Amino acid sequence: MAKFWASVLGGYPRGRLARYTMRDLDSGALEPYRGLVELERASALVVGAQLASGMRFVVDGMLDWHDIFRPFAEAWRNVYLDGIIRYFDNNFFYRIPVFRGEPEPQRLVLPGRVKGLKMLAEPAGVKVVVPGPLTMVKMGRNESDLSDYELVDKIASALALEVREAVANGAVFVQIDEPFLSDPEASRDDARAAAEAASRIAREAGTALTALAVYFDTPKPDIYEEIIDSKVSLVSLDVGDAPARAIGLLREKGCGGHGLVLGVIDARRIHDDSYSNVREFVIKALDACRELEEVGLTTTTWLDLVPLRFSLRKTYILGLYTERLAADLGGEAVIPITAKPEPYLAG
Amino acid sequence: MAAYTVPKAFPTTVVGSYPKLPSAREALRRQRKGGISEEEFKKLVREAIRGVIEDYIWAGVDILSDGEQSREDMVVYFAERLRGYAPGEWVRIFDNVYFRKPIIVDKVEWVSPMALDDWEYARSISGGRPVKVILTGPYTMLEWSFDLHYGDRREAILDLARVIRREVDEYLAKGAEYVQIDEPALSTRPWREEAELAGEALEVIFRGVSAKRIVHICFGRIERILPYILDYPVDQFDLEFKNSDFRLLPYLKEYGYDKELGYGVVDVHSLQVESVEEIKKAIDDLMKLDIIGPEKVYIDPDCGLKRLPREIAREKLKNMVEAARLARREWAGEE
Repeated sequence: MAKFWASVLGGYPRGRLARYTMRDLDSGALEPYRGLVELERASALVVGAQLASGMRFVVDGMLDWHDIFRPFAEAWRNVYLDGIIRYFDNNFFYRIPVFRGEPEPQRLVLPGRVKGLKMLAEPAGVKVVVPGPLTMVKMGRNESDLSDYELVDKIASALALEVREAVANGAVFVQIDEPFLSDPEASRDDARAAAEAASRIAREAGTALTALAVYFDTPKPDIYEEIIDSKVSLVSLDVGDAPARAIGLLREKGCGGHGLVLGVIDARRIHDDSYSNVREFVIKALDACRELEEVGLTTTTWLDLVPLRFSLRKTYILGLYTERLAADLGGEAVIPITAKPEPYLAG
Repeated sequence: MAAYTVPKAFPTTVVGSYPKLPSAREALRRQRKGGISEEEFKKLVREAIRGVIEDYIWAGVDILSDGEQSREDMVVYFAERLRGYAPGEWVRIFDNVYFRKPIIVDKVEWVSPMALDDWEYARSISGGRPVKVILTGPYTMLEWSFDLHYGDRREAILDLARVIRREVDEYLAKGAEYVQIDEPALSTRPWREEAELAGEALEVIFRGVSAKRIVHICFGRIERILPYILDYPVDQFDLEFKNSDFRLLPYLKEYGYDKELGYGVVDVHSLQVESVEEIKKAIDDLMKLDIIGPEKVYIDPDCGLKRLPREIAREKLKNMVEAARLARREWAGEE
């Protein structure tokens, strides 16, 4: 009997409070401490939505991250930020991280966030997301003396430190995002470098779950072979974007002994996803990977590409469908809010 | 209208948008709050367009635009004026900058001219310089909208193409010489089938059009889509080069490029003003490749200038025009 659980893939869009707070922080009209308080309020909304929708793991929404690379690039010596450029096939632009040398962390991004989120997230687990080192290099610019793959390795070291401290502070799920692996230009060597970097980061995660997430499209089979060689607990695939190819890949290559997270709720469009489609994707994926005892369901990408209202609706749909699937397929839905309370909560 | 002779070699132009001038910002702010009559809106926008045209003429640009002063955004502006669209909610574009991504809720239909008035006004004060008609393309309109009606991308794009063609007819009837369709989204999905879909839409828009037909594409992997678009029914591709460090240049040679080229030599995402020498070198680099002659090369920025401070935009254009002038003398013996 399979267990089903849900967790959104990543960040949320900014509602009015977060937008105005970021604007006032950028302009200096708001003191940093006040800004932090306001952002925590905005974050509480999306954390609450995740909890109420039955997410097993929750994120803080990353509302203050202008893009996935920025907070890390800003926290590292030898990295600066250049002009904006389009992020994959989205009408969204990120600032190019430019590496002048080995990234040296001057401060850590994740541990403080985890500490702040842990209490709010109870009884769900805290999930943190880090940019994949390969994607960061490929989407950035390497002006250092290091080769691209050496730089991937150095970024992995910096992120491993982040992850170790995040887990020490209470994170139970670490996701490494490598959307570049779905790009037609990604090579097998790229995938190998990404998988090794993910393995390195995952080693520092101790007992926490780790996932290598690939989205925006389905990786090519040779790329996927390297992905499933990585030493992470879970592989997270975007199924909703190109279902036939994603399912075909799973049928052909299996899961390589990893757990599976399926991106089934379309996070780039605002229609309500069809339950029968989601059900079909999951049945086919489970059929392709029969050894799976549990499967995670998620969104096809981060939810910050749709307006806040729809991101909340999609979160609800994700939770709802997870429960329905478990009931339909004779499995069990892992929903923290109905699970046995933690001992200290039980009094 | 006074006569103006556009240089035969390296004419200079703009892609479309210009920093919003104060009166345009005020018009848009008041429009959002619902506190402005159409007449007042038009008056404020015209004041802004006048400032834009003055800047262009000061810089010496040959082929102008209205600066898109009344357009809050390149998609939202048209969506608000078409039947079949519903207003959208805020979606982030970068940093803390957002647009209200519109929603297609019904079959899209043209209602009345959407940008004709601004274009006509710009034309009336341009001192005879041509003013481009600049419209957002159907592919980009769909990609940067949410679709709750069609479900079928081809059907939606072709309907949008018919709507845009209807708009183009308005300008042709008034003697438009340059019609530019902006398709920045095309470079984000550089696959043959996507290029063919956009090409089919352009057939609808440009069929029988005798004005100069231009498509603008920017910021993506243009080199990957280039081989699939070369047979588009257009006279000119207007492309971004500077921001991607002229990575595209060798591909023009490789693919036997022979149409006119809008050559983006000014980075609209950088506050650093390119020097005359730097821009001239970019033109020289293109000419040395011996792909097309100077009469087929239009010198312009990578994209719209709207994100720049006005002073920076002005200086960038001034240097661009001067570089084109030097290149004209060197490569075409023209002053």
